[in-house]
Amino acid sequence: MSSPSPALQQEVTLVELVDRVLNKGVALTGDITLSVAGVDLVYVGLRVLLASVSTLEQLDAE
Amino acid sequence: MTAADALYVYGVVPGDTTPDLFAGVDGMADGPVRLVGADGVAAIASSVPLTEFDTDALEQNLKDGEWLEQKVRAHNRVLAAAVGKATVLPLRFGAIYTGEDHVRTMLGERSELEQQLARLEGLLEFGVKAVLDPGVLRARLAESRGGAADEGSGRAYMLRKQLERELDREVRSFAARCAEASHECLSAAAVEARANPAQAPEVAGGEMVLNGAYLVGSGRQAGLRRAVDELKARYGEDGVTYELTGPWPPYNFADEEPAA
Repeated sequence: MSSPSPALQQEVTLVELVDRVLNKGVALTGDITLSVAGVDLVYVGLRVLLASVSTLEQLDAE
Repeated sequence: MTAADALYVYGVVPGDTTPDLFAGVDGMADGPVRLVGADGVAAIASSVPLTEFDTDALEQNLKDGEWLEQKVRAHNRVLAAAVGKATVLPLRFGAIYTGEDHVRTMLGERSELEQQLARLEGLLEFGVKAVLDPGVLRARLAESRGGAADEGSGRAYMLRKQLERELDREVRSFAARCAEASHECLSAAAVEARANPAQAPEVAGGEMVLNGAYLVGSGRQAGLRRAVDELKARYGEDGVTYELTGPWPPYNFADEEPAA
């Protein structure tokens, strides 16, 4: 198996980051809250950014 | 901070943490990352302009992949500055407060934050992904069965179809066995472990059999590395590659309640 190109490698790291920063960690409700629509929009942005089916599936499951 | 600003909170650290850890670290926006303390804990925070972060602006910005990437990286960069130096409890993206007093009130009301910090003290998160190249495994399995039937004949075609189906089944069963054995081996070197859903093949570059997160005592990383090396030796020839990442802020272990 050939090693991934640097660009792909960077993308994979971004997927890891996105998975952690948006899906994990303690969820606190601050003063400015994302509406449910807002949370959906995160995934619109992500869809543009990467094709992470697992992330999208997680959203669907929530 | 002005009336046009809000405070973005990245995570929580023990109250005696030195703000020097975040000196010179770039946050979500211009302006220093600082600590806002109350009751033995402190929020890692920085000012963000409401023009970018109020509800309406956020809804727009979240649709912008580039904006989101920048902010996701900033969120992690700030938390990563403290990893290995202080216990860090990561918050999920998007905890935004209109003033320091609101942050302090939140810290005062959430006694579980301090308990979470105590639980994570001296522990680091690592990620291990295992990806299978099914082509390598199929070739290996086919080889162990001996030569292919004569090309061309109808019977050879049927046999080949049958072989394909059997190989599919064997690859699936191998992936399941490998996933379980890998997670078990890595978990044995960790204090806590999580197996997350696999990423899509387009992203993973193959069939992801394991997307695991492991909480390990600092100074005990060598044990996890050894476990990864052991797995590489066991499954490498079958077409499985392992990637170890970290240490990460313990995102996967910052649940409000321990996972069942």
